[in-house]
Amino acid sequence: MPLTGLQVFKLLPNTNCRECGYPTCLAFAMKLAAGKESLEKCPYASPEACAALGAASAPPIRGVTIGRGPRAITVGEETVFFRHEKTFVRRPGLFRVLNPASDRDTLLDSWRALRIDRAGETFQVDGVAIPESPGSPDDAAAAAERGFPVALLAATPQGASAMAERIKDHRPLLVPPPGADLGAYAGLAARLGVPLVVSGADLNALATAAMDATRAGVADILLEPPGADLCGLHHNLSGIRRCALDRIHPGLGHPVFLRIAAGEFEKAVLGITKFASLLAIEDHGGETWLPLWTLRQNIYTDPQKPLQMQPGVYSIGEPDAKSPLLVTTNFSLTYFIVSTELEATGLACHLAVVDAEGLSVLTAWSAGKFSGDRVAKSLRAMQATERVSHRTAIIPGYVSVISGELEDALGDGWRVLVGPQEASDIAPFLRDVWETVFR
Amino acid sequence: MSLELKPKRWAGAIREVTLGSGSRRPVTVGGGNGLPLHTFEASFPHRPVFALEITDVAPPRWIDTVRQPWNGVLGQPAAAARRAVDEFGADLVMLHLMGTHPDRGNRSPDDAAADVRAVLESVRVPLIVKGPGAGPKQNDVLARVAEECQGEGLVLHSACQEEYKTLAAVAVAYGHVLVAESPIDMNIAKQLNILLSDASMDLRHTLIDPLTGGLGYGLEYTYSVMERIRLAALGGDAMLSSPMICLVGEEAWKAKEVKVSGGVHWEVATALTLIEAGAEVLVLRHPEALARLRKQVDCWFGGETCR
Ligand code: B12
Ligand code: SF4
Repeated sequence: MPLTGLQVFKLLPNTNCRECGYPTCLAFAMKLAAGKESLEKCPYASPEACAALGAASAPPIRGVTIGRGPRAITVGEETVFFRHEKTFVRRPGLFRVLNPASDRDTLLDSWRALRIDRAGETFQVDGVAIPESPGSPDDAAAAAERGFPVALLAATPQGASAMAERIKDHRPLLVPPPGADLGAYAGLAARLGVPLVVSGADLNALATAAMDATRAGVADILLEPPGADLCGLHHNLSGIRRCALDRIHPGLGHPVFLRIAAGEFEKAVLGITKFASLLAIEDHGGETWLPLWTLRQNIYTDPQKPLQMQPGVYSIGEPDAKSPLLVTTNFSLTYFIVSTELEATGLACHLAVVDAEGLSVLTAWSAGKFSGDRVAKSLRAMQATERVSHRTAIIPGYVSVISGELEDALGDGWRVLVGPQEASDIAPFLRDVWETVFR
Repeated sequence: MSLELKPKRWAGAIREVTLGSGSRRPVTVGGGNGLPLHTFEASFPHRPVFALEITDVAPPRWIDTVRQPWNGVLGQPAAAARRAVDEFGADLVMLHLMGTHPDRGNRSPDDAAADVRAVLESVRVPLIVKGPGAGPKQNDVLARVAEECQGEGLVLHSACQEEYKTLAAVAVAYGHVLVAESPIDMNIAKQLNILLSDASMDLRHTLIDPLTGGLGYGLEYTYSVMERIRLAALGGDAMLSSPMICLVGEEAWKAKEVKVSGGVHWEVATALTLIEAGAEVLVLRHPEALARLRKQVDCWFGGETCR
């Protein structure tokens, strides 16, 4: 737990020599406690003071990096139980389990190429989990060579060693079978300098296992909590997070690892919302992955700062002066939905994205960020009005009320056309209204 | 070093609210004295409950996946209610009177009352009645229904900050439960409950609808606002300690992804996340989502499916 100003003060010499730039040791201690100064500024601080302050400021949950290179992933380093207290910082890694398959290389290539853009974030396969099998060292190498961070789901110490040795330079995560005797695995992880997953039958055993691994020289640890059902798992996930934040046991200050077997969708939902940092998921279809990626996006977005688009005029296809001009807000989600619908129409058009502080259409309007005046100013500032010759702007159906005000504010013979409420109706609208009236 | 996880104790608890009376088999929610689902350290006399949504007219915007289980009874509230309860095991039914909306048929308050009656006659579970939404029609319809079904402990959905007086009055006069809706805003949720108590509404007959955004469409906001409402209630704020209701199906099935990716997963993910944040009455559309969620909820609250 962080130290209070007075606790820090007791660690300082109390000579008030001012060399730190503060009039008194107490003043400096207050700044230190608030995290606004660093102890290095006091030349007289004792080694004990440094140690005490260092331990108190270490993150309650350690960061662990898996893999190397551009796709390497760091998890952990969370500091809160409730997201609104601050935010969650490290999105959990969603790893795909690669079962032995004849078309392994094709599969891995397709996973590597997979990129789904959704509302300001790109979803991709974060890493690959390789279950031990006779061919698994080759599987692991094939995944690592493609740049994927790799989790090695071992069944035996020999298998673990064969896989880990093969890709030791790629910083794989070593995952022993749950409940396995830790000794051999910890020795291997320590020797190769790779992160290790530890497990235990309850929180106490889990914490002890983590301490044992540390003593064996393993630097980076993930915890695999027990839980026969979602209730038990939830209990343990909450317990680990609470113990870590309250610094009840140093053995629990590590990120959490979960296996999600085929069909365990609900378990994945619980893991993503409640503190898991790395999930090895066996299901393959988009039916499972799209909702999970989206859930992670929701839980790990800072609600204080909605994902936003840069305001400006975006081209859909290759529009010209006769193409429709549509207006929307700069909330990433809104832009994402509207632009995908527009692309699907196959019709070129201009999409003017107005700065509404990242709010959806109706929210922006209720907050006064999408009034006729504001939209007009913004359209002029981004020179949207010069892109088209027809002087017609299409606005979202939900804000039909601003059409008069917007027409007045634009002046110059501009007219405002009220579009449909839902983006999914844009295609028929453009076909029926725009095409017939304006072409 | 050995490990000791001290149970967290709170000053407040969630208020118990009973839905349904008269000819209904009542269902009680609330009463928990700890964080949602923290059954390991707090007590929860009642578990979260599930309603299925049915409609007075065939719903124009429902996609095929969610229509399919209701084939043959869409827009026939009495038959749909029976299917919801007898076949799909819903704890409650929500009748959405969408057809009373001026743009969707403009059915009259009397038509609405007749529909509600028919549903009351076909099932014995408590009934949530959702009006056409904002505007004067909301009050006309719900007030008429409230009067017609005196003493049935209907759950009237919903009153908002701008428009609550009429509904508070009829809920008190005819013995119903009132849902207080606020747009993802804890302060408004609190303010509205203060206004309702000033209007002599006993808060033991209210639920909070914090307004749900579906997965990918605002869930992130709802989630935190609900957690904060729960924390405030546990901290002792009686104006925020009503149980929360979430219209999950309506939001989840709006997502454009449900057309290409499994819609049931979408509804399950939304609902389970909201349960974690403190929802206790969940209104769903797909019976498969209900079955899957029920199985998980039973796991926390001592059902047979899990242990
Ligand atoms: C999430 C949310 C919030 C979030 C903000 C999220 C954000 N970044 O915008 C938070 C919690 C902060 C919020 C706050 C408020 N909110 Co709010 N919020 C919502 C909610 C649940 C979802 C909004 C959303 O994300 N929609 C998804 C996006 C993609 O929709 P969209 O932008 O409208 O885009 C669609 C269409 O408009 C169309 N479209 C978009 N662009 C274009 C362009 C063209 C040309 C066309 C044709 C179509 C088109 O396509 C899209 C898909 O169909 C809605 C209720 C709901 N379920 O819809 C309420 C809602 C919008 N909020 C509302 C209100 C009142 C508020 C507040 C004023 C409440 C308050 N007092 O706190 C504040 C204002 C914010 C502020 N800063 O002061 C009301 C608005 C009421 C009204 N009719 O005006 C709503 C409708 C809730 C309600 N029923 O009361 N809100
Ligand atoms: S430099 Fe160190 S000893 Fe001198 S006043 Fe600052 S804190 Fe005190």
